[in-house]
Amino acid sequence: MEMFNYYLKLSVRNLIRNKLFFTLMISTLAVGVGVFLANIAIIKSMSADPIPHKSNKIFNVSLNIWPNDNPDAELLEIMRYDDAMHLLKNDIATHTMVHYQSQVYVRDSESTSLARHKAKVRATTQGFFPLTDAPFEFGGSWQQDRAKQLVISNQLNQQVFAGENSVGKILEIDGTPFEIVGVLKPWKLKPNFYNAAYEQAFSSADDIFAPIETAMDHEWSVDVRSSATEHIATVSDNRGKNGFFIQAYVQLDTPEQKQEMQQYLDNYSQHRKEQGEYLRANNNRLLDVNQWLTYQSVVDERMLAFGLATSLFLIVCIFNASSLLLARYHSARFETGLRRAVGARIKDVFYQGLVESLLVGMCCAVFSLLFGWLFLQISIELFPSIQRTSDIDTTLILIGIGIALVTSFISMFYPLIRSCKTPLSTTLK
Amino acid sequence: MLNMKNISRIYRSDTIQTHALRDFNLEVKEGEFVAVTGPSGSGKSTFLNIAGLLDGFDQGSYELDGVNIQGLNDDNLSRLRNEKIGFIFQNYNLIPDFNLFDNIDMPLRYRGFSAAKRKHLINDALEQVGLASRVNYLPSQLSGGQQQRVAIARALAGEPKILLADEPTGNLDSLMARQVMELLHTLNEAGSTIIMVTHDPDQARAVGRNIQVIDGQITDHSVYAPAHENASIVVKS
Repeated sequence: MEMFNYYLKLSVRNLIRNKLFFTLMISTLAVGVGVFLANIAIIKSMSADPIPHKSNKIFNVSLNIWPNDNPDAELLEIMRYDDAMHLLKNDIATHTMVHYQSQVYVRDSESTSLARHKAKVRATTQGFFPLTDAPFEFGGSWQQDRAKQLVISNQLNQQVFAGENSVGKILEIDGTPFEIVGVLKPWKLKPNFYNAAYEQAFSSADDIFAPIETAMDHEWSVDVRSSATEHIATVSDNRGKNGFFIQAYVQLDTPEQKQEMQQYLDNYSQHRKEQGEYLRANNNRLLDVNQWLTYQSVVDERMLAFGLATSLFLIVCIFNASSLLLARYHSARFETGLRRAVGARIKDVFYQGLVESLLVGMCCAVFSLLFGWLFLQISIELFPSIQRTSDIDTTLILIGIGIALVTSFISMFYPLIRSCKTPLSTTLK
Repeated sequence: MLNMKNISRIYRSDTIQTHALRDFNLEVKEGEFVAVTGPSGSGKSTFLNIAGLLDGFDQGSYELDGVNIQGLNDDNLSRLRNEKIGFIFQNYNLIPDFNLFDNIDMPLRYRGFSAAKRKHLINDALEQVGLASRVNYLPSQLSGGQQQRVAIARALAGEPKILLADEPTGNLDSLMARQVMELLHTLNEAGSTIIMVTHDPDQARAVGRNIQVIDGQITDHSVYAPAHENASIVVKS
């Protein structure tokens, strides 16, 4: 420990004595690591498992229901109202939920202000909450399919009710009063698996969760892709018709449940086929959360390409830092030679270099995190959509420190070896 | 103390082989003060580098304080350098932004001495060279002669068996050179074994034994008694 302290003291002295050199070197590495870190922040958020404790138990349901005979046509992730209702009747899954996305304007019915807040709506079923583990701060879910009741997000509660317990209060939507029965804690799935289709995985969080029947009864518009093979005048008109707009998820805790569910879907599909509806072979699909996110290409391939570019940039930075160090060790070979002459072993010189690389690595880590944050802010400024995908969390900070230390060590390794191998008799007179 | 037998050292480049030392034989006993002279390129520094374990050799055998150094690895060679040898260089080789204490402390650190022991040894060494009051000075605040005395203190602090001095007065004016030589003689009288490479024939004559190296071999070997300014030649071989 005493030698470690000695080496640390020497390293600090070297850093102070060669301020300009080390500023250059640390900046070179920190820029490389910072850009790399900013990129990792985005890719890591994109490729994260949003619900790791049960991501292999939650499945997206895609049915073979598209009424054409093109065998190459992709399965649709949206289904009709009737298909969704049939799925909800299953007693196989631990939880089942169906949903569609809408948008409304809301105001506190007791407010004297006429100001209304734009709110994103998830029209869904009670199964949504246990399936996604949405955490309640106040109250709970509605209990009836057609209840004029809502669950609201923490953000909307802050916006409209200043964060107070608003359970029992009334929200007015298009002139109709709705009772708030639940308020969620701050909660956002990253990426949002249940809304991953149509590049919505990182869209803004939902503000309101409402019974799907209620939403349709009140003609809350379908706010994402929908298709139809016949004329449908209103949202509620979808019942009993070929309007495709609902997505479905099930929680299947065991392989047996999954097998049964697959059979259930196939039986349903076959039944409809026999009634002359489906022309293609049965290929109904259950994809778990991570399979589903991969299928939806949530990690943008352009980001992966950019990741490769930043990796190469980091390598270039390491080479630059290494060549700078080579020059420094060359100029410091007198001191190295002197230390060796008075009794330092090669390993002592190497340990001293390691401690110096540790110190440089720590400085580099601090600046890398700073640069990483800065690059992220610049990226968000230039490309606002990145904002919802990028976080520098504790794990990323630790990764950043680790990368900075490793790059510092790598850049020092070769110059240090060269320095240790310099013949003693040539450096001293 | 130091026993070299048939030492050869050849430097090789792509096209040239240079015999820096050939069949070099020398025995130095404990307490001796040996001056090594010779023209430039004669092999003096090669001899001193090999003696100081800073360089290897191609043939022959070398024993230092009873230890055969052939085949020793870097750890053992470094330990021998640290424990048994003190170096005094022509250019002093002090680290400019270390004060005297830290400069002398350096070899002691690698010896693993406790802080208290190191402090004691450093103060003793500075006392011996007459610079105890300047322990916190930087080398740049001292004259050339004083800097060389600091270098001698650094060499002495670890209580080595032998001091190797490579033209220790080469960068000093005559007055300072005399002071440094007086210090080396004092140390020798106190029991230190010293081998000194020098170009100065007066300095060579002033020590107990003088060997002349030409073309990598000892060509002249004189012993004077007693060591000091009015010494006379006793043996010449």
